[in-house]
Amino acid sequence: MLALLACVLTLLIASALGSKPLIDTLMRLAIFGLYAVSLNILVGYTGLVSFGHAMFFGFGAYAFGLLMQTGVTSLPAAALASLALSAALALIVGALCIRLADIYFSFLTLAFQMLLHAVILSWVSLTGGDQGLQGGIPRPRFLGINLADPWQVFVVTTVVFFASLLAIRTILQSPFGYALRMVRDNAPRAAALGLPVQRYKLAAFVIAGLFGALAGILMALYVSGAYPNFAFWTLSGEGMFMIMLGGIGVFLGPVLGAAIFLLLNDTVTRFTEYNGMVMGVVLLVVVLGLRQGLLDVVMARLRPR
Amino acid sequence: MNLDAFAGCLSSASCLITQTSAGLIIGMLLFLVACGVTLIFGVLGVINFAHGAFYMLGAYLALTAYQLTDSYLAAVLCAAAGVGLFGVAFDRLFMSRVYNSNVLMQLLVCYAFVLILDDAVKMIWGAEFQSMGMPAVFALRPLHVFGGLVPPFYVFLVAVTVAIAIALGGLIERTLFGKIVRAAAVNRQMVSALGINTSLLYASVFGLGALLAGAAGALAAPVRSATPGMGVSILIESFIVTVIGGMGSIAGAFTAAVLLGLVRSFGSIGFPLFTDGLMFGLMVIVLLIRPQGLFARGSA
Amino acid sequence: MTAHLAIADLVKHFGGVVATDHVTLDFPPGSLTAVIGPNGAGKSTLFNLITGRIRPDGGQVLLDGADIAGLAETAIVARGIGRAFQIASLFPSFTVAESLAAAILAHRRQTHRMLTRFPLAAARGRADEVMHLVGLDAHADRLAQHLSHGDQKLLDIALALALDPGVLLLDEPTAGMGRDERWQIIETVHRLWSARRMTMIFIEHDMDIVFKIAQSVRVLKYGRVLAEGTPAEIRDNDEVIAAYLGARYAKAAP
Ligand SMILES: Nc1ncnc2c1ncn2[C@@H]1O[C@H](COP(=O)(O)OP(=O)(O)OP(=O)(O)O)[C@@H](O)[C@H]1O
Ligand SMILES: [Mg+2]
Repeated sequence: MLALLACVLTLLIASALGSKPLIDTLMRLAIFGLYAVSLNILVGYTGLVSFGHAMFFGFGAYAFGLLMQTGVTSLPAAALASLALSAALALIVGALCIRLADIYFSFLTLAFQMLLHAVILSWVSLTGGDQGLQGGIPRPRFLGINLADPWQVFVVTTVVFFASLLAIRTILQSPFGYALRMVRDNAPRAAALGLPVQRYKLAAFVIAGLFGALAGILMALYVSGAYPNFAFWTLSGEGMFMIMLGGIGVFLGPVLGAAIFLLLNDTVTRFTEYNGMVMGVVLLVVVLGLRQGLLDVVMARLRPR
Repeated sequence: MNLDAFAGCLSSASCLITQTSAGLIIGMLLFLVACGVTLIFGVLGVINFAHGAFYMLGAYLALTAYQLTDSYLAAVLCAAAGVGLFGVAFDRLFMSRVYNSNVLMQLLVCYAFVLILDDAVKMIWGAEFQSMGMPAVFALRPLHVFGGLVPPFYVFLVAVTVAIAIALGGLIERTLFGKIVRAAAVNRQMVSALGINTSLLYASVFGLGALLAGAAGALAAPVRSATPGMGVSILIESFIVTVIGGMGSIAGAFTAAVLLGLVRSFGSIGFPLFTDGLMFGLMVIVLLIRPQGLFARGSA
Repeated sequence: MTAHLAIADLVKHFGGVVATDHVTLDFPPGSLTAVIGPNGAGKSTLFNLITGRIRPDGGQVLLDGADIAGLAETAIVARGIGRAFQIASLFPSFTVAESLAAAILAHRRQTHRMLTRFPLAAARGRADEVMHLVGLDAHADRLAQHLSHGDQKLLDIALALALDPGVLLLDEPTAGMGRDERWQIIETVHRLWSARRMTMIFIEHDMDIVFKIAQSVRVLKYGRVLAEGTPAEIRDNDEVIAAYLGARYAKAAP
């Protein structure tokens, strides 16, 4: 209900103001917000610190773009097929990565993502290499929706964003979601209570990969292309940065984090080309100073102990 | 995919020699970086994601030191010492604050430093490729070995790295420091319970690892061009090395690094597109059949 | 075989240490047994072997006559062996009620449900029941990490109890507690056992507790079974006195 309300409200405000920069900002916020929330399924709720989440963002974008370019005529079908492929990728990579504990896991996810990045760069005939997917992505009409129109892309993105958030929230509030929290809090104890821990980790990995890929598909639609940096390690790092900024322990924390991150990044980029330096320092201050995300701090204040 | 070229190379002694020596120097650099990763992980239980950036810093420091002093030896020492000290400072001032936090915090601190260092290098040295060129001492005619050409610097690089490997092995197997390091790798709590100054231990291990990365950067400078962001790929490859060799094993790291170096150099002739895939394939196979690595002590 | 749980010739090495050295023991249905022995005797290891947390190097673990040695931990839990830990092992960010509901759902294999809301009403009812059994009702909505040490140990036991196990293993339920708190928790444990007549095995260092409530006692040392018998027999066993109990009990013996 709340999600529906927020969705309608966002659309109303945007249509009332109708300014292009605002819509662009909201688009990016929806895409990276969903990306960060999907990563937080792993980091915040399952305790799996993936450093390779951009792998799915990039894979989803490329799979979708390539499918559309090779002449799949239905846009939703291409999107669904890309999601299915992403889930398969997540299943394979996840099965390998969860064999290793903790920080090993982070490194292995990073390594696999860089493999994908290397493949994208070197398989020029398919992916266009470092130039990215060339020639735009065709957007045939479906169900009366015309995605050649930026406003309609915005509407679809907003709806998908809120629907995804609702879906993720439902999953995290379900018995399954609590099983993930059990794994995060104390995996050996969960196993001693009969929970097949590895299977739940893998399931979380696939679900997170799925929504990460969905964010990638939205991105591909938005920019009408796909670029290697969608699968580059910096985007994985940025995802964790967003989560950390906004708050790990609060469902909407990553969305807030994404908003702050984008705002900060845009501002800094306007003033200096060394935005990595500035962002790095900000990150250090947050990690070593606050040690929590903003919403975590707020929630801790609100909740009597 | 170019199997003809690959087969052609395998049947020609000169090509074999050239590719093997090229593979060896890649392996040596990988070994030096991987050693640091594995040492730090073994003792501190954290993976230093900034280790690639240390390597980059070493290359740039060497570059400047060489330009200033015109002595390659000075450049190597300067880079190793400089990065070593930087590593100690990084550990004391930043990493030590997140030892007891979760992996996310450790990772983010390292990530922040990669961002900062990449940009710092861009500020100081510029964003373009920089290359040191072959130092005058090594600007000699290449050695002819079975018809293959081997630059003298390659021989030097391999010799230095092997010497470092042996020294490191001795340090870990035969000294008190090594004993503590090995004990820490097995049981970290026990070491602190024994009243060993863990801050000092951690800082020195971090420093040692950083020093090795700095040395690797300096040794790479004559044969690789330096660019901001050059650390990431060697970080990933050195991680693959530690997975294949087994975390905590110097001998394993050495063997795996040489193996990976050879895969890289021969792969670039036969199937340049799939070299990365091949390295990962190797890693995946090891993970599946022996997740603790080929050379790990005992079972995982 | 009349034993509910039987261990035959069980062996476990850790490197050079023989933590479990050809141990053979059995536990009749509905019995209340104490396992005692000095630190490092292999008591916790025995529990780890029974519950499948670690794999034995040899030997059998028979539950109702069926060999379960080497099965996965989850499979063994499913067959009805519950376990509480020497150091309370909890889910720090869960409330007491949530912890129990989650344990129940995990045990009933209902945690794969993604569309219903946690906790399912049925699990909530059972959680309340278990909370009441161990006397944690008052703390239902407190986070596990904010409970007192004693209540944490109770919650750990309650988690095992939530699975309604036929065999309950308690690893030092009174570890790290003051005297009064100890007796309180032991009374709870004893009440649970009397009410449900499950097969209960507990590890305990406090001999007064052991001799007061255990029906029978097993003594381990260096991974081996040093003695077994009723509390009275153990109290009079010269070997046990020499090896473990020491002077205090030696004097008490006639
Ligand atoms: N996972 C393990 N790896 C290596 N050694 C272990 C492991 N678990 C137990 N041990 C060793 O096995 C022996 C038995 O340990 P165990 O924990 O079973 O003793 P315990 O009887 O429970 O002692 P305590 O009364 O102190 O709890 C000890 O020497 C211990 O060091
Ligand atoms: Mg014990």
